[in-house]
Amino acid sequence: MSSATLPPVAQRRALTKRILKSLPWYPFIVLNLVVFVVFNLWPWLSMFQTATFKTDLLSHREFVGLDNFVKKAGDELLHLALKNTFLFALLYVPPLVVVSLLVAILVNQKLRGMKFFRSVYFLPNVTNIAVLALVFRRFLSPRDDAPFNYLLGLVGIPAQRFLLDIHQALASIAGLGVWQSFGFFMVIWLAALQAIPQPLYDAGRVDGAYGWRLHRHVTIPLLRPTAAFVVVITTIGALQEFGAIFILTGGGPVNATTTAVYHIYSQAFNFTRFGYASALSILLFLIILIIAYVQNRYLKFDEEVY
Amino acid sequence: MSSLRPQTQRSPLTLLRVWIGFQPNQGLRTAVTYLLMGVLAVSTVGPFIIMLSVSLTQNIRFLLFPIDLIPNPITLENFQLLFARTLALRWTYNSFYVAAVSTLGGVFTSTMAGYAFARGDFIGRNVLFYMFVGILIMPETALIIPQYIMLSDLGLVNSYTALIGPWFASIFGTFLMRQQFLSIPRDYDDAALIDGANIFDTWLRVLMPQLVPAMVTLGILRFMGNWNSFLYPLIVTTKAEMRTLPVGLGTVARSGGDAGLDMAGAVLGFVPTFVVFLLGQRYIIQGVSLSGLKG
Repeated sequence: MSSATLPPVAQRRALTKRILKSLPWYPFIVLNLVVFVVFNLWPWLSMFQTATFKTDLLSHREFVGLDNFVKKAGDELLHLALKNTFLFALLYVPPLVVVSLLVAILVNQKLRGMKFFRSVYFLPNVTNIAVLALVFRRFLSPRDDAPFNYLLGLVGIPAQRFLLDIHQALASIAGLGVWQSFGFFMVIWLAALQAIPQPLYDAGRVDGAYGWRLHRHVTIPLLRPTAAFVVVITTIGALQEFGAIFILTGGGPVNATTTAVYHIYSQAFNFTRFGYASALSILLFLIILIIAYVQNRYLKFDEEVY
Repeated sequence: MSSLRPQTQRSPLTLLRVWIGFQPNQGLRTAVTYLLMGVLAVSTVGPFIIMLSVSLTQNIRFLLFPIDLIPNPITLENFQLLFARTLALRWTYNSFYVAAVSTLGGVFTSTMAGYAFARGDFIGRNVLFYMFVGILIMPETALIIPQYIMLSDLGLVNSYTALIGPWFASIFGTFLMRQQFLSIPRDYDDAALIDGANIFDTWLRVLMPQLVPAMVTLGILRFMGNWNSFLYPLIVTTKAEMRTLPVGLGTVARSGGDAGLDMAGAVLGFVPTFVVFLLGQRYIIQGVSLSGLKG
């Protein structure tokens, strides 16, 4: 029976009772709530307001309506940044997904020392990007006898310019990203591999499937939800890459590594165009949301496979 | 494998091979596996070993191959230079302080809110829950600019409040802890209530002691996440003395000093998370698999 059919007095009493029952729970969520309202909800709403202003946060604040959104159409650096962002995702996501899966299959065998190898592969992932940038800036130096060029020299490949070359800089940073993250996604693949029930393999063998055929018909279909998860997460990460670019190339050479997030950062903090940067942030949000949504739909994230 | 076949079809040779555990094919496969994993392990650990070695080398301007992995003489000069020329000591303090408060605060608030969402029946519960889910899907980089503007309006740029604030609550943590509370049978709550405990006592004395491993997992993940964050601490600090270690080291990397100084900085930034990883890797890997399986 719904409360609407009760007489008014009883209704009020029911409401009072419900409020009294609710009250003791609010102290448990109040801190969470305050943090989210102050650091997420408020900035998130104010972003739409700021996006309609031209402001440097100091002296200048001028209402410009939708100008900041119109301006994007003519911002050639933005177009390049978006191109670079998608290119980076292409250079980063497929190798990362494939490498982490292959390594997971490798370390999933019942051999001595597997735990050790898993930990070793995870190490770059817990190391912060500033440390990795400090190290790899030296490794990727264009000098002939810098580490990578020295190793290339051993197999007869001439010295490369890596971060200083407009065609190699983005790929170098993607490579560093793959090296940093494959251990993390290896662990996720591994959890999925180990969750496949052994009887399914036995049944497959009874049906005459061995080796690759067994993987083709048992492993791969069962890994699809994990594959969807890994693809979506790595893509969202790729679209937001920043640290390595900021430290290693500063968006250069000649804007070759200026990605969407770097462009937003630079518009805000190098040119103090905070209104425009807010409008760009809304664009970034929409792009990520749409790509994640499409991938979700297409890869069928939540489908039951068992 | 062959256990499906009747025993009688096994040749004595097969039985012998199975008994001593040697199969030529398997042996080759194992060798190839170890070779691949070894190469990968060297490429993973190698850069860190070179980092350590260069940081202990005297007067090293460039990192050029081949190098001596064990420097002669071993020196701490680079570290002395790092502390003398940069605010590395201050950055380290900042990072530890911010990470510690963020971790404790985040675990604490997650445990509280997770309990309320798992057990509570209060007005607005579902609305709040979906609001939290909504925030979870917001890409954090899209919020960086408005967060900076807000902090700048409040005069909080270059403050610990700004560095710690968003880390004082965790949506992932709240959901994780909610799952953990749901996994405890309600009988515990009921028994405690019959004994006269209120919901606060039930939370603190009855349920929380059972969730210490989950809290440790969450704490380690939060510590790592906070220590390694870069973009947010970069934008909310403009004064050198308020930078966290990764942000400070980023400025060292961009300033183009010599290799020894760079690597000393890298070692300093590497060691804390390495130690936490060594001590807590069981929890970390568990936490990561958990987040992946949940989807």
